[in-house]
Amino acid sequence: MKLRLKQRATTLAIFFALMAVLGSMVVVSGVAPIRASSGHWAITKWFLAFSKNRSVATHSLGIKAPELDDLGRVRRGAGHYETACANCHGSPLRARSPVALAMTPTPPLLPPLVERRKPRELYYVVQHGILFAGMPAWPTQKRPEEVWDVVAFLVRLPQIDRDEYLRLISPETRPAPLPTADGVATAPLATCTRCHGADGGGGPGGAFPRLVGQPSEYLLDSLEAYAAGERHSGVMQTVAAVLTDEERRVLANHFGKMMAPGTDPTASPEDSEAIARGRKIAEHGLPDANVPSCIDCHGPGEQPISENYPRLAGQPTWYLERQLRLFHAGHRGGGANAHLMDTVAANLQETSYRDVAMYYSSLGNASQEDD
Amino acid sequence: MIMHAVNQSLQPILDRPRRATFSWSRRSIARWALLAVTVCTGCQGPQSALSPAGEGAEQIAALFWAMAIGAGMIWLVVIGLAAYALRIVPQPHDKRSSRRWVIGGGVIVPTLLLSILLMFGLAILPALVRPAPEGSLHVEVVGVRWWWRFIYPSPDGGSFELANEVRLPVGEPVQFDLRSADVIHGFWIPSLGGKVDMIPGRQTRLTLWPTAVGTYRGVCAEYCGASHAKMAFDVVVMPREEFDAWLRQQAQDAIDPSEPDARRGSEVFLKSGCGGCHAVRGTAADGSIGPDLTHFGSRHSLAAGSLENSPDNLRRWITEPQSIKPMAVMPGYHTLSDADLASLIAYLQGLE
Repeated sequence: MKLRLKQRATTLAIFFALMAVLGSMVVVSGVAPIRASSGHWAITKWFLAFSKNRSVATHSLGIKAPELDDLGRVRRGAGHYETACANCHGSPLRARSPVALAMTPTPPLLPPLVERRKPRELYYVVQHGILFAGMPAWPTQKRPEEVWDVVAFLVRLPQIDRDEYLRLISPETRPAPLPTADGVATAPLATCTRCHGADGGGGPGGAFPRLVGQPSEYLLDSLEAYAAGERHSGVMQTVAAVLTDEERRVLANHFGKMMAPGTDPTASPEDSEAIARGRKIAEHGLPDANVPSCIDCHGPGEQPISENYPRLAGQPTWYLERQLRLFHAGHRGGGANAHLMDTVAANLQETSYRDVAMYYSSLGNASQEDD
Repeated sequence: MIMHAVNQSLQPILDRPRRATFSWSRRSIARWALLAVTVCTGCQGPQSALSPAGEGAEQIAALFWAMAIGAGMIWLVVIGLAAYALRIVPQPHDKRSSRRWVIGGGVIVPTLLLSILLMFGLAILPALVRPAPEGSLHVEVVGVRWWWRFIYPSPDGGSFELANEVRLPVGEPVQFDLRSADVIHGFWIPSLGGKVDMIPGRQTRLTLWPTAVGTYRGVCAEYCGASHAKMAFDVVVMPREEFDAWLRQQAQDAIDPSEPDARRGSEVFLKSGCGGCHAVRGTAADGSIGPDLTHFGSRHSLAAGSLENSPDNLRRWITEPQSIKPMAVMPGYHTLSDADLASLIAYLQGLE
């Protein structure tokens, strides 16, 4: 009995050793095809899809979705989708690129797929990508809110038709002729204006930050920081990194020298208490907590302020609040002067972020000072 | 058995001929003199409790010397007795006389001496913490990590703020009202008097009475964080008339710079947001987080006694404050252009 067991074990060991040798020979000889052109066997395809779905379902278990029913989020998600996702996954406006269709596995058409997925699963896939499948991770892991913007768009995607999609990605309500910037190809400029508006005003409803009213120096510093990965954003890094130095300079000048039109303030008057609190902090800071005033660097005031600092008046509430949160978490990064915000981020209480953001967005006009 | 071994090993020492092995060669005298000079120069300087320039400091120094000399004498007596018992009369002593020595030298004499010392110490304490007489100068001091806010009464009745340098009239009592903005600090000008802690949520008091004109140095005497060692201030004691003139001048607003470079510097100061934290009275800069800079150019040092107030040091402080004072609230303005920096330095140093 004992002897037979031992014999069997030996036989098994020899069998596995032979298999290993055989397997190595297959790999080393290179006879196994790695080509995408022939696709997967049906069983491989099923197995990969099954294991992928299981992994996504398990790993996304702890993720809590924020409020996604927000037109601003959907607009921002749509804007980035058009820039980065539509080429492979198609959109209500255009079919998938033949290049994408020649991939194995093929990037799926999303409308039927997203209906079967929970928002947290979509978030997990957009944030982290999928190994061996060509689905890239979000360019930075420090901006979950951006990923949720895309998820907010994706969950609505099945109901979005061509016209609706067009309205989402080119939201010009005030029709303005596509501006031409000296020496810049129209394409990069169109990428800017598609979201930020031809007038740089951030589009209707304040879905995007305003570029108009910002000095060229600050805009260029920001574009360069995005391009170098020093300011973190899956959306803006994607756009800024592929521009040439010259394009970044001309685009920054283009928006930097624009005259600021009036805006529709995004804060409602019933928030006046919060605005008053925010105004107090903006004008006087919180000296006991080592929080300096905002206006000494960001305006508005009678003093001219540095061309390297952003003007905050008129920026949408969500944007300013998000920036403060990012600074607080150490995730914002930014240009050469971003470290000046460290003290503020360390000492301003999170409960005040919204107040300050609402005060600045209530100001409505991005450049009242004439420097 | 063990005792025997110990005795045997001690024998060579005990059997040594009784004569002095230490000879005062010329070299050793020079060596001792050098050591004495080195140690004594450590007692001089602007920050020494051993070269007092104020009444409190004189009492403290007297107490120190009395204790040091007394302790030295006691040490000599004890060592003398030990030598007597070991070398001169090593035989067992009479039980009764031994007991007298133990009770007398071990209980009665220390009790007596320590009581005298305690009385001496307690006697000078009230003078050190007593409020200054009516009509004396009051200076409010706030300890902030890691610098000093000094609030002086202004000649016209109000008050105004200075930082990191305190000036006092000689021969008059001055009362410091001490507070802290964050953690416990200790206010200490060793040359002028004792030290008192500055405790958050409380006001403490210290009265000093400078007796000699001169420049001294005060420090934080209670560990308060990363840059505790960089939290100092200059103390200038001056004749009454000079002090009055200084106070009048410091109470005034900053004078607008006339020189073009400095004028440009004042613009750099405001547009870079310096006024968010610093005040320059008479300008739009009204921040109160950092030191008041209205008369920055008249100060001896910068960064709370960390560096001499020179253009090069100021440039270093503005561009890389963290390398001078770790964890200071001031961020580095290394992004300013060279031209802007030069103008800014000209402006700040011109604020006299």
